[in-house]
Formats: sequence, C-alpha cells, structure tokens
Amino acid sequence: MISLQKLSTDLLWIKGFFIILFSFLYFNLEAAEGAPCKDYGECDEFKHTLNDMSSLQSGASTFLTYCYGCHSLEYSRWNRVAKDLDIPEEIFFDNLVFDPSVKPGDLMAGSMSKIESAEWFGVAPPDLTLVTRLHGSDWVYTYLRTFYEDSSKQYGVNNLVYPGAAMPNVLASLQGNQQLTCKEVPIIAKNGGEKRDDFGNTITKQKCGFLTVEDGTGSLNEEEFDALIYDLTNFLTYVGDPDKVERERIGWYVVFFFIIFTTLSSLLYREYQKDYH
Amino acid sequence: MSDNISKVFNWVNHRLPIQNTYERHLSKHPVPKKVNFWYLFGALAAVVLIIQIVSGIWLIMLYTPGEQAFASIEYMMRDVDYGWAIRYMHTTGASMFFAVVYLHMFRGLLYGSYQKPKELVWIFGCTIYLAMMAEGFLGYVLPYGQMSYWGAQVIISLFGALPYIGESLELWIRGDYYISGITVNRFFALHVVALPLVLIALVFLHLIALHEVGAGNPEGVDIEAHTDEDGVPLDSVPFFPYKVLNALVGIGVFMTVFAIIMFFFPEGGGYFIEYANYEEANPLVTPDHIAPVWYYSPYYSILRAVPDKLGGFAAMGAAVAIFFVVPWLDRSKVASIRYKGILSKIALVLFGISFLTLGYLGTVSVTEHRKTMGVICTFIYFSYFLLMPIYTSIEKTKPVPDRL
Amino acid sequence: MIGLTSAFGAAGVPFAATPFIASWNPSAKAKAVGAPVKVDVTKIDPGQQIQIGWRKQPVFVIRHSQEAIKNIESSLSKLADPNSEAIEEPYRNMNPTRSKSPEYTVLVGVCTHLGCSPKFFPEVEPKSWDASWTGGYFCPCHGSMFDLVGRVFKGVPAPTNLKVPPHNFKGNILTIGEDEEMS
Repeated sequence: MISLQKLSTDLLWIKGFFIILFSFLYFNLEAAEGAPCKDYGECDEFKHTLNDMSSLQSGASTFLTYCYGCHSLEYSRWNRVAKDLDIPEEIFFDNLVFDPSVKPGDLMAGSMSKIESAEWFGVAPPDLTLVTRLHGSDWVYTYLRTFYEDSSKQYGVNNLVYPGAAMPNVLASLQGNQQLTCKEVPIIAKNGGEKRDDFGNTITKQKCGFLTVEDGTGSLNEEEFDALIYDLTNFLTYVGDPDKVERERIGWYVVFFFIIFTTLSSLLYREYQKDYH
Repeated sequence: MSDNISKVFNWVNHRLPIQNTYERHLSKHPVPKKVNFWYLFGALAAVVLIIQIVSGIWLIMLYTPGEQAFASIEYMMRDVDYGWAIRYMHTTGASMFFAVVYLHMFRGLLYGSYQKPKELVWIFGCTIYLAMMAEGFLGYVLPYGQMSYWGAQVIISLFGALPYIGESLELWIRGDYYISGITVNRFFALHVVALPLVLIALVFLHLIALHEVGAGNPEGVDIEAHTDEDGVPLDSVPFFPYKVLNALVGIGVFMTVFAIIMFFFPEGGGYFIEYANYEEANPLVTPDHIAPVWYYSPYYSILRAVPDKLGGFAAMGAAVAIFFVVPWLDRSKVASIRYKGILSKIALVLFGISFLTLGYLGTVSVTEHRKTMGVICTFIYFSYFLLMPIYTSIEKTKPVPDRL
Repeated sequence: MIGLTSAFGAAGVPFAATPFIASWNPSAKAKAVGAPVKVDVTKIDPGQQIQIGWRKQPVFVIRHSQEAIKNIESSLSKLADPNSEAIEEPYRNMNPTRSKSPEYTVLVGVCTHLGCSPKFFPEVEPKSWDASWTGGYFCPCHGSMFDLVGRVFKGVPAPTNLKVPPHNFKGNILTIGEDEEMS
C-alpha cells in the first residue's frame, strides 16, 4: 500500500507539474488561425437532430430539388437514404428521384459530367457526401445563409464564409435578396455601458457587414428560411456519417459491458490479493 | 478420457517445450509484488497491438490501394456491414497505441527502467517506438486524403534535405513524380506486411530480454537479491494469476476509454482523424493549415524550431535517436525517481512539460511568439538528455531500501 | 577457403538486391504520364497567374504587368539568392523573368522547403507575414516567401529559389517539360 506521506509528496509533484504546464501553454494561446467562418467570424452553432425523421426528409427533399442538379453524393446509395430516412421506397423514387434510369442500389453520382461542369463553373462543383465532416456542420449551416449581392462577381453574389465562392445562390428565390448593409450602433464605453454625449444622447458609429434581406423578395421569411437550411444541414450531417446514430446506440452497450467487466475483475483481483497476504 | 489427453500432452511435451515455456514465461514467472499503475502500460500496449493486427487484417479485406484508395475507405464505411467499426477500431487503436507507449516510456524515465542490466530491453523498446512511427506514418497515407497527401509530401521532402542524393532519393521513394497510386501501393505493402513483421519480432525480443533480467519496480529494488531456497525472489508473486488479474483491471479501464472514443468521438476532435482528410488528395492545392497527427507533433515542432532545412531534419532525428543512449547518460546510483535527487526531479518535470508544449505547438500554426516558445522547449528537451550525466552524478541520492 | 567462399557469397548480395531496389524507380508508365503539356499563354490577364498540372505538380505561369517587370528588382535586398546561383538555372541571364520570355515566368509551384504549394499574392500591400510585401508567393505550411519570379527571401526555411521547369515558347503556345534547344 502507498503510504500517506508518499502520496502527498507525489500529489505535490503532480500539482507543480500541471501549474507549470498550463502556464507554458497559456503563453501560446493566441488566435493566429483567423475565424473559422472567415469574414462572418465565428460560425453559427448547429446542433444536429439525427433522430428527427421529418427534418431529415425535408432536408433530403431540399437537397434533391435545389442542390443535386450540380452536386453529387457519390458515396451514398439511393435506397440506403430512403431506408434510413423512413421513406417507403416507392414514395421516395416517385417523388424525389427525378432521373427514371436510377436503380435503387445506385450511388447518388450526380446528374452532371465533371468535365462539362468544370467548363461551366470554372471548377467542378464538389461532391457533398463528406462536406459536413470536412468543414463541420456549423460551417455548412452558416455558409448557406451568408450569400449576399455583389455585382463584381460572376454570379452576382458573394459569400461571407467562403469569399469568392464560385457558386450562384440557388436558394435566393426562397431567401430573397440579401445585402451587406451598414448601420449605426452605439459605442460601448470601457465600463460596459453605452457612451453618451453631454446631452445624454447615445453616441453611435457606423458599422458594416450586416446581412439584411430586402423585404418581400423571398417566398420564405427569415425563420422559415433558417429552418429550411437547418433541415438541409441536418440531412448533410446524416449523409456525412450515416451510421452515427447506430454507432452511438451500440456504443452505450459496449461501454456498459466494459464497466461491468472492470468491476468484476477488480473484485476478483481483491479476492486473490486477500488470499496471498 | 483424461488419461488419453495427458498421454497426448506428454507426447507433444517431449517434442516441444510447452510446459516449460508456459511455466517459465507465464505461470511461474516471478514479478515484483508491489508495483503501481505505471507498470500497466506495457500490457496495454500488447493489447492494442493485438487489436491493431486483427482489425488490420480485416481492413485489408475491405481496402483497395492505388487510385481507388479514398473511395474504398468510404465504401467500407458505408456499404460494408460494421465496416465503420473495423476502421474506427484501427484509427482509435493507432492513437491509443502511441498514448500507452508514451506513458510506458515515461514510466521508464521515471523509474530508471533502462539501467543496468536492462539496457537491451530499453533499446528494443526504442526500436519498437521507431518502427511504430514509421508504421503510423505509412498507415496515415493510405486513405489518400488531403492530409495523407501533404503530410507524406512534407515527410518525403525531408529526405530531400540530404546532400547530393536527396532529390533522387525522394523520386525513388515515391516511384513517381508525385505521391500517386504507385506510392500508396508500396506504402500499403510496407504497412501491412514488412513493418508488422519487424514489430512483432521486436516485441518478442523486448519480452525475452525482459524475462531474462526481470521486471522492475517503482522502488528500484533488486528483488533477485533475496530469494527462497528454490531461487524464487521473496518479494515476488507468480505472474499467473496475480499479475494477470492486476492487468485485467487495467485493461478493463483502458477498454472503457477505448470504446468511448471509438463509438462517440472517433475523430478525437480532429486530432485522431484530421478533418482535412475527408477530402481526396489533390496534388495541386495545399490545405491552408497542415499539421501532423498529435503523436508526431512534438517532433514536428522541433523540426520547425530550427530555421534550416537539413538542420531541422537532423534535430528531429536526434530527438528520437537520443532515447537510445539514455542508459549511458544516467550516471545515478539509484534507479527510481523516488530516491534520486532534486535535480533529476526538476529535470524530468521540465522535460515532461516541454514535450507536451512542443506537442501542442506542432498542431497550431506558427507565430513569432510560438516560434520562440518552440525554440525554448527544444532547448529544454535536449538539455534533459545532454545534461543528464552531470546532474545525475552531482546530486545527492537517498538510500534505497533492501526489500520491497 | 572460408574467406574466399564468404567473399564470393557477399559479392552476390548487391546483385540479389538490384531487382528489389530498382523496382522502386519510376516505372515506364509513371514516366509516360510525365509528358510535356502545352498551354496558350495569351489567355492570361496581365498581372495574373494560371496554374497547370505537369507530372501532377502544380506549375505556375505568370504574365507580368509592365509595372511589375519594372519593379522586379525592387525587393532585391530581401532576396537570399537573386541570381539563382545555388540551383541549376536553365535560362540564366536570359531575361529578368528567369524564363525564355521577357513577359512570362514559368515556375514549378512546389516550395523548396518541404514541398507544399505556395499561394500567389500579387498585390503590393502589407500582409500579416510581411509589412512591406511587394507581391509574390507565400507558403502556408512553414511561412516561406518568394518574389514574383520565384526567388526566395532571406530568413525563411526554404533554402533555394523555386525551380524553373524546362519550357519553350512557340508563338502563343508554351510547352512545359520539354525544350529541344536545350539538349
């Protein structure tokens, strides 16, 4: 058995170790990489709900209607998506699959040839099977909502998260025309309150980079549009990692098994130790 | 019936030393009776080795090297029943292998597990570590994602730092003008056949040498000094069942952690599987931020700390190579840190801190500030080893007890 | 006799090793893919670059603006090897662009440090890595910097200038990877 005195000296060393370690690491903490969502700053947080079938179904429908024309999901299979999303195959193939030559077990390889599309867009639209794993769901969720009008670009739009993205905003008819605008914001004083002039009026400064949608130009309001993008991102999160739900379900059993196993073996070990001493 | 079985057993035993080997290396093998948790990581490394070999064999059945490598990974992850389980077992195993080996090596430094007569055990261990680093690197290239590609590009380019032969050596290693399917094929062969054979042989030697000189203990007491009339050390217990049961508890805890990572956080926050590797290799575009997997990052930091191509490569190589000579750098009369002087204790703490800090720095991009920190930590890292002959011989040690 | 037998046996080792080592050389197939590529350079806007793949390596072709050509020596004091003396320079003293054309520069887009592909920043403006940036290439991996014709800066990890591949201009057509006049 470890003596108490030894334990306390050991703990002292461990404490000293971590204090110096954290002070070393602290010196190196600085934001050098830049914000993950570029001009937008930090990405908006996205929390997936992979058990919400209606959200996944609506996301799949949005994807196949608006995105699949250019972007493939080339590692995913049609019937797998139908099955995982609880859509009866007949309904799925009648309503969501627009290409009659598609067989249920086919990969969702896209409807455009890579070479042709590279000629149209300058660069072939990327496959999106793994987009949420490459950039993260937060990134995708933010990216799809931050297109704004920019006449200097080829498609008349630019994006805050991915400046210079070579992609038209295909959802503009739903979202409306989004623009970058400036507005007057109060200057925050050092004490945290708003700065005021001698007459008690709030002093403001002009700040730019706000996204505003022109009223009445889109068929959805902001809330509905965000919900649509949420479902779409949720669907892409599912496609990126289709076994996640199943994996975590099994994971609980496995972890539980090893906890029991550890308990049993430590009881057995104690038993044998008793017998030895 | 049982009579017949024992007849068969005796027949075999006369021709193959089963019973002898079993008793000598397993059932009756004496191990020190008092050790702490630090002494579990060797057994855990053996467990991970088995996990890696078994999951690896199954991965070979699912993976296609060459140009289809990236697609074949997605094939096994999606189209194959439980393919994800096999692959995540292997990726989690790779990170866990390094984690337990690092802790195992630190145990060695902590309790002087390299001191006479255990020099060869230590050297075989260092060679295993070296082989593991090569094995891990080759394995990381196989999925042929962006990080596979550019990581390999950087590592292979390191050979280009060698004078005269550098450039043709690079071309020879790749077998192509870029890291192509041809390169992936040869890395696959090395990863699944050549290096595993080397690793298994080295592990065998590591264990044989260990059983010859006997396992150590945290007190640094030589248990062979006091034996009973049969020559069994008094302060020992037989390997079976005591050590086995002890290890079993450790394995239980370890497997729980393993399962949590494998099923819930297989990417390990981008440290175990890097996010950029979810994009297929593109020789024409470098990702904005490239960093090695966490287990190489301390050495990567050392490489970056030296502002010279060949010098950086040399420093990185020296940082690994210096482990081999530790048995001859330590001049202390005692093995365990518990009886060493204050200088050794401070040196080991600073070494641990600089190693972890270098590890962190290797995963982030360079700034002026971090560069300075990297140089300081590299300096501490090498000082720990190079000053060891001095501080271990001048400091005052405490007397080691006679018995455990 | 023991010595002779051992020596004879040992002499066989290099022969036995030959197939194992030689089979790692680039195969005929790999060499065939590395054939020259042709590109019409007049399509490039002045001041811009295009990137093409040659032997699956990025090759940068830059069409310099008049102004950039005039300023080509402006960053001279920052350069480690302005005359490319440390490397094999195929077209030394031909043009300030290091190529066979006074208007275009052709570079292998692979950093001479550890092989990443540097990014093109032609603008003359302060950058986070250099406050007095006058246009050129910056490598995201280890921070090496090069000027607009691929010459390396002092104090960066890259040891030498970016390489110039063998090339040839015939009218508007640039051929990369082959130059009959050279051999």
